[in-house]
Amino acid sequence: MANILVVEDEKSINDLITMNLKLVGHHFCKSYNGTDVIQFLKQEKFDLILLDIMLPGMDGFELMQHIRAYNIPVIFLTAKESLSDRITGFELGAEDYIIKPFEILELLARINVVLRRAKPSDDLFVLGEAEVKLLERQVLKDDQPVELTAREFDLLEVLIRNRNIALSREKLLELVWGYDFLGETRTVDVHIRQLRKKLGWEERIVTIFKLGYRLNAEV
Amino acid sequence: MKFWLKTLLVVLVLFVVALDISVVMIMNKSWSLNTEREIQRASSEQALIANNIYENLTSIMSRGSSVDDEILHNVTYSYAKNYLQQGVTLQLWNQEQLLYPKDMNHLIKPDIPFEQIEEQGIHYIQFSHKLPPPYDHLLLVYTRDIEELYDNQRELNRFFVTINFTISPALMILLFLFIRQLTKPLRLLSKTTKHIAEGDYSERVLLYNKDEFGELSQNFNRMAEAIEQRMHELSEMAEEKQRIVDNLAHELRTPLTSMQGFAEYLRSANIGEEERGTATHYIWTETMRLKSLAFKLLDLSVVGRKPLELQRIPVEELFNSVQQTEMKNMRDSRIKLIVHRDIDYVYGDFDLLATFLVNCLENSIHASVEGGEIRLMAYELDEEAVLEVRDFGIGMTAQQVARAFEPFYRADSARSREHGGAGLGLSLCRQIAEAHDARLSLQSKQHSGTSVHLILQLHNNSSTTP
Repeated sequence: MANILVVEDEKSINDLITMNLKLVGHHFCKSYNGTDVIQFLKQEKFDLILLDIMLPGMDGFELMQHIRAYNIPVIFLTAKESLSDRITGFELGAEDYIIKPFEILELLARINVVLRRAKPSDDLFVLGEAEVKLLERQVLKDDQPVELTAREFDLLEVLIRNRNIALSREKLLELVWGYDFLGETRTVDVHIRQLRKKLGWEERIVTIFKLGYRLNAEV
Repeated sequence: MKFWLKTLLVVLVLFVVALDISVVMIMNKSWSLNTEREIQRASSEQALIANNIYENLTSIMSRGSSVDDEILHNVTYSYAKNYLQQGVTLQLWNQEQLLYPKDMNHLIKPDIPFEQIEEQGIHYIQFSHKLPPPYDHLLLVYTRDIEELYDNQRELNRFFVTINFTISPALMILLFLFIRQLTKPLRLLSKTTKHIAEGDYSERVLLYNKDEFGELSQNFNRMAEAIEQRMHELSEMAEEKQRIVDNLAHELRTPLTSMQGFAEYLRSANIGEEERGTATHYIWTETMRLKSLAFKLLDLSVVGRKPLELQRIPVEELFNSVQQTEMKNMRDSRIKLIVHRDIDYVYGDFDLLATFLVNCLENSIHASVEGGEIRLMAYELDEEAVLEVRDFGIGMTAQQVARAFEPFYRADSARSREHGGAGLGLSLCRQIAEAHDARLSLQSKQHSGTSVHLILQLHNNSSTTP
């Protein structure tokens, strides 16, 4: 889907982020310090940079000066939560500012927002016999169009964007129906059943015990 | 009321009052002298005229003429005419009968020899004396106009008031200029204090008088310097505290983020055995890291608080214990440890000194290249006991040395984190040194190595050195 450069000196966190990016189908490069970033920028084309601020070599704020020339969106990912740091981050042109510790689902959601804003791509997702055109909101099964309600498509999109990651019913309600929706989690079950039936994904959308649902796809 | 205004008013009032009192006294004195003189003069003139009349009468008598009222009148008249110009009038009474001047029936015979009279706004002095016998039935009244004296006095009074009204404002202006000049240092001081109060601690009073003000401003400047120094120290301390808090937040957040993240990953992601292994490995190592951080922080807070009981510690035992703890680490890095022992005993707390040496040794191991050499030494220098750990590794820059004892500071964050360090080792060492009342020194040069000295007091071990 997108090519993302992860700049984070903590090896564990760098791995955590990239392993999750891999799950939902993004490509990535890892950089453990500031100075390597410049080299990466010269060699490859990135759609997004996740940037820590406290880095050995060159800190994130300094790096922004170099990144600006490439016109790549940047999300700061940092433990520095002071208002002044956040303001500095946004002033330097960051798209978003995420404070550690963060939730992976939140990180992925924010990544999607930034990617969609920066480059509305004709995302095509193919799984088995089904083919989903995310931008055009079209679904084909065996080259035949499948009729989905707007909610069903929203739910499908959330599942695809967070594929291989289990989503709780509450989380799905929040992401698909919105915060202020007062419905019950049973609503989610009903829509999931519909999706499974219409797309023939009974085996793909799996129920995870005590958690929720997960769309399994090839990593 | 401002000081200068107060001074001005007080001085002005005092001056004017003093001046006026003295002038009034002088004027009074001169007035009394003048009147006295006038009275004297009048008295002697009266006596002279009386005598002259007496002589005239005597000579008239000797010529055989009788002295009747007509003659008396004429004689008196001749004198009176003479003296009239000088403001003197004469009366001559025979018993109760007025002989001269005639036809002045309103006049009353005076019954006292001297009096001052005021008549129609004009002042007189009057002497009434009898002529010498045998004419002692005759009374000569001498009246002198002394209005001129009063005129002079009035003139003087007017002049005095004028002077008062002209001198006072002039004096006021002069006093104003003078006092403003005198209080200038005060205003300067006040201005500077105001600036300092507003937070500009670098402000100084530029006053070089040799008087009390100069002294005051010198002392003031000294105070301002002390304050500036103190403020500087305070803000530095606050900055260090802020850095420590920031660092602690970072040290806690990083392992928590990855533990939370990997746990979530394990729970919800569609992954294989390999990813599962990676995730559990990270959860394990990060837990260990948090644990070590927690214990180090605990050590740090405990060391400073509990009172220390110094004990006689055999250096050999101490070194053995430290070597045992670090044996595996040293073997892994193929480090050669050289132990050098000049003294047998030091005074201190065994566990704390061991912790101190272990921390220093760990730092040295991390700083050294594989196969390097580390020295662990105990010796006496300048009548003090020294424990030293020296390595020949990468060393530190001057800036790194300056911050080395700061909690969470890591000279090389990436390397140190690989070894699981939180950047608390040297902070703990400093606490341990403080608990022992010992000095701690760290010398380091980039690419040539670092040495840490713990200098323990002599009186603890003077009797035990060999």
